[in-house]
Amino acid sequence: MSSTGIQRFGENLRTLPRTLREAVSRTGAPTTDRARSSFVFGNLFLHLHSVRVHLWTFRWSTTWGLGIAALSAFLVTLVTGILLMFYYKPYPDAAYWSVKDIHFVVPTGKFIRNIHRWAAQVMVFAVFAHMARVFYTASYRKPREFNWVVGMGLLVLTLGLSFTGYLLPWDQLAYWAITIGANIAQSPREVTDALGVTATFDPGGLVRFILLGSEEIGEEALIRFYLLHVMLLPLLLGALLGVHFWRIRKDGGLARPADADRRVAESPVPVQPTFTDAPRKTYQLAALVRGTSPAVGRAPEKTVPAMPHLFYAELAVFMLTILVCVALSLVSDAPLKEHANPAVPENPAKAPWYFLGLQELVAYSAFMGGMGLPTLVVIGLTLIPLLDRETDGTGEWFGGPGGLPLVLRSAAFGLVTVIAIEAFAIRFGWLREWFPDVPQLVVTFVNPGTLLALAYAAYSLLCVKRYDSTRAGALALFTCFLCGFVVLTIVGVHFRGPNWSFYWSPADWPAH
Amino acid sequence: MSTMTSARSAPPPSSRLEPPPVARRDFLGLAALWSAMAALAVAAVGALRLPRAAVVPVPSRKFRVTLPETLAPGEPFLPAGRSVAVFRDGTGVWAMSTVCTHLGCIVKQEGEGFACPCHGSLFKMDGAVTKGPAPKALPWLAVSRVGGGVYLVDEAESVAPGTKAAT
Amino acid sequence: MRANKILLLVASLGTLALLLVAVWRENVDRDWRRIQRDYRSRLEREAAAGFAVQLRQLYVPDLGATDRCISCHVGMAPGEHGIAGDPVLGPHPDVAHDPADFGCVVCHDGQGRATETADAHGSVMHWPHPMLPARHAWAGCGSCHTHVAVPRRVELAQGLALVERNDCLACHVLDGRGGTLRPGSAGVAAPDLSRVGARGFDRGWYDAHLARHETAEAETNGPWRTSFGPIAAEDRALIEAYLGSRVGAPELVTAKATFHELGCRGCHKVAGVGGDDGPDLTHVGDKDPGQMDFHRVPERTLASWLAAHFRDPAAIVPGSRMPEMGLDERQIELLTFYMLSLRRSDQPEAYWPKDRIRAERFGEREFATDGATLWGTFCAACHGPSGEGMRYPGAAAFPAAANPDFLAIASDRFLRETIVHGRPGRRMPAWGESEGGLRRAEIDAVIAHLRSLGGVPAPRETEPLRWVDGDAAAGAGLYAQACASCHGERGEGKEGPALANPRFLAAASAAYLVESIRRGRRGTSMPAFGAASPTHRVLADDEIVSIVSFMRTWEEPR
Repeated sequence: MSSTGIQRFGENLRTLPRTLREAVSRTGAPTTDRARSSFVFGNLFLHLHSVRVHLWTFRWSTTWGLGIAALSAFLVTLVTGILLMFYYKPYPDAAYWSVKDIHFVVPTGKFIRNIHRWAAQVMVFAVFAHMARVFYTASYRKPREFNWVVGMGLLVLTLGLSFTGYLLPWDQLAYWAITIGANIAQSPREVTDALGVTATFDPGGLVRFILLGSEEIGEEALIRFYLLHVMLLPLLLGALLGVHFWRIRKDGGLARPADADRRVAESPVPVQPTFTDAPRKTYQLAALVRGTSPAVGRAPEKTVPAMPHLFYAELAVFMLTILVCVALSLVSDAPLKEHANPAVPENPAKAPWYFLGLQELVAYSAFMGGMGLPTLVVIGLTLIPLLDRETDGTGEWFGGPGGLPLVLRSAAFGLVTVIAIEAFAIRFGWLREWFPDVPQLVVTFVNPGTLLALAYAAYSLLCVKRYDSTRAGALALFTCFLCGFVVLTIVGVHFRGPNWSFYWSPADWPAH
Repeated sequence: MSTMTSARSAPPPSSRLEPPPVARRDFLGLAALWSAMAALAVAAVGALRLPRAAVVPVPSRKFRVTLPETLAPGEPFLPAGRSVAVFRDGTGVWAMSTVCTHLGCIVKQEGEGFACPCHGSLFKMDGAVTKGPAPKALPWLAVSRVGGGVYLVDEAESVAPGTKAAT
Repeated sequence: MRANKILLLVASLGTLALLLVAVWRENVDRDWRRIQRDYRSRLEREAAAGFAVQLRQLYVPDLGATDRCISCHVGMAPGEHGIAGDPVLGPHPDVAHDPADFGCVVCHDGQGRATETADAHGSVMHWPHPMLPARHAWAGCGSCHTHVAVPRRVELAQGLALVERNDCLACHVLDGRGGTLRPGSAGVAAPDLSRVGARGFDRGWYDAHLARHETAEAETNGPWRTSFGPIAAEDRALIEAYLGSRVGAPELVTAKATFHELGCRGCHKVAGVGGDDGPDLTHVGDKDPGQMDFHRVPERTLASWLAAHFRDPAAIVPGSRMPEMGLDERQIELLTFYMLSLRRSDQPEAYWPKDRIRAERFGEREFATDGATLWGTFCAACHGPSGEGMRYPGAAAFPAAANPDFLAIASDRFLRETIVHGRPGRRMPAWGESEGGLRRAEIDAVIAHLRSLGGVPAPRETEPLRWVDGDAAAGAGLYAQACASCHGERGEGKEGPALANPRFLAAASAAYLVESIRRGRRGTSMPAFGAASPTHRVLADDEIVSIVSFMRTWEEPR
């Protein structure tokens, strides 16, 4: 023994910081690409990234950073939401006053609530935009079909989070938006009532009852919405997010055109060809997951290490998202109206903007506008990758037969149709104004939205036939629905006033 | 395709597995990273301020107490809902907190003093510690006479032991 | 790749800059911080050292008060002395209630939780309770003092005149006046009488004063001699009534007395007592300006709306049946004030003031219950101050209830039933306890007062109520000839009153109907059909009986 136990103890004490550092990070300072790769690979949070990323990923037009923006906004809502939970009290009356206190006396409270609110809006917008990006670059195709389906789940969860958060302030806006929302959930009764089976089969009433925990909106509803908002939905969203990211990696990174390697520009950093035409080399585990690893058997690919290049890009989008949220929060305060008053409805009672397209349709019939069509749209979107199995144009903007011209034509058709139907309905009214005795079932199903959907579907079938391509039909249908959604949302946001009447501008609203 | 490696970079790496170290003086990257850290740090400091409330809803800690005629001199009177013992004798009226100075349990009268049920501290009738972990005597509280046997006790204000209000 | 770094740098620096703006806003640029810094800079050195710039609040959980007004109005915070004369930092005026015990909003309204000026004063969107305007601040008393008892307006004026004439103000302070030691004359500091009505006063005050007046102490040119002299008994009663109304809110008492004097409660209910022709006013002072139409109102405040509405009701509320009352500006001001004082009253019972407990638990009235007061408060607006009837522009005339011809044949029973049940479908409300809120004894007092107005004693109802048994078929023909042109084909009423009204037919005795037809009603267009006239033929007694029999066919079968 060259040293005594005491000496060794002293030495151990002296080297404690280094030992600790080495225990945490096994790779040492990540100064070489190899060390960095190892660092990424060995880190729980970073290893969702591939170690190396194709240069195509770094083109801004590939993603516009929308997925990361949505994630960033989610993280921001997560942090600010947890902070708000310090003060928020999920009980009627107390809820409203606690939000007032957050506004007026909690240090940074109002700012944090503004950020929470704006980040939620940014998240919804980014999720929509991300979906459109993935669709228009045809990135949903094999092997990424399932990730598209997961993405649809994330979209629904995002909207659900936003909607459940809407009730929590317990103000007039919240109360009446939730009243409407809960009654939309109950709207299958329009059908069951018309069929006379509500007494035995009442899915609408059941959903509403489970949502509200009571016959009316009160403390039970508030605690349920709170549970959904701060616990169930975030957990589900987090889990699905994990799957989503993991699948991105397992599906071989972002979709890119077959000739991506040729098309990426000169790289400013050293580019290593990752894999040569080596024989069937696989990642062992990945091989289990998907047979052969996606990158196997390809020509040399232009990849760069994820660290630091991808991280710079991601961090940049993250900070940009925060910048947008903070800027909006400084400019505009999150609304907080009068204390909820079940006796005096808000007029107009408007849902958050992304639901106002639906609210516009609900104004004609609750079931079709609020349940039937949205369900159909979500199912239709989910099925896109399973129904369009062509391979042309993957990773290309507007890839596929027809391309941009087809999209523009579809947009024109979509806009003209929705505006025509809306203008007609606003100018001349709808069924019941012409035939007061028309059966409810007809009113329920013959919604302007139904006609719109049929027109869009017919148009897209026409495109399938004309271009002899399912992708063309998908492009046409998606574009039409996007246009319809945008126009209906704009009508709902801007052109609808008290009693859901049409006004050219909110300035024309009568004082109430 | 390997000729595609950047012309700007130093000599091509010797091996894919042992690439050369990355240049250290990436001023732009460091500036960007540090400014991001700074922004997040400011945000974190702001967020950390939030849990410390600026105002707390505390109702008035002053209360009125009416001493019963039958109260024996030097015996504690315990007003309902308050952790205070009020005493009266020939020299005046005084009030003492019954919150143990150790960890805040409420002490109980036991014989000629008070006992804390939680960790066994014992106090004399005047609040002095006789046993146990309590670090301080039970504090005396400010009392003032309102009139007609009614006294105003202020739980927020402690006074030197022995301070009594005139009866 | 480089672009991403630049983007990160720009985004980070931008975020940092915006966060610093937020820091500045939060920690420097807040109204209350500026005001408190200003306050501290104006304090004495020692006081300033102990003064921390921080949010302050009054917290009274029983009243639901969390009022941060004192974060800016820091001079009103407990333990602070304020800067006298400063509109923001000044101390709170001396009032009966310590703000520390009640909070601010309970009297002043506004948004107590807010810490920004506009939000706190409530002059923002989506806050339904803006602050009461400073000149109407005393209307806040109405939040709790929902049943302040008031004498009649004339009695108030007489009482005040007597107080002045008898020189009480030489020594006593009353509502901020008097108590001056006038040179040449006398005066000593005497008790402030401004809240003597709430406190109660010695019933033997007069004798005590008089005794002092007659003692030697008064000899030495003191005020007891110059200012106090004998007062007549009826004057003393008026003075005592006046002092009883001095509860610290003179404007509220005057306003409420004006409201009663103008007979508003003939159509409007307050706290369950009043007519039902107009809206219930019990909580009118609590209306949300956000829910109101300010198109033709000069200012977006409830006070402004109310004042404009009193000037011309139909211009503000299209289709309003409220007549233009021809009020002067002072009356409009007082009525607006009183409306603002009719506010929410959901305080816990432990906080109820005496007046409310007396009224709601012991049934005491907030108005005098003599016939004259009741008539003026509930009847005069329609039937005229002396029962002569009223005609408002654009409305049908209201009947002259004191018409001697009417009173001569209307029994007390008929009058009582008419008052208790009203005339459903017509504007006369039901005044019975469950509807208009008047009690049996009060209605009797009104009837007695009505008799005194008409100067006609009550007829005795000796006959049975329904003795007519004429030929209803013949009566129908006669009715069509003689009556239908005024009373309508089916008795539904035209220029003349509706006769087919079930309540009327139930209350009216046969004798009343017969005599009404025979004698007519002088002063109205109802002729005496029993007397010769150039305009109609004389109806024989049996013909009149036939008509009455026909009218009885309108009654629902019993």
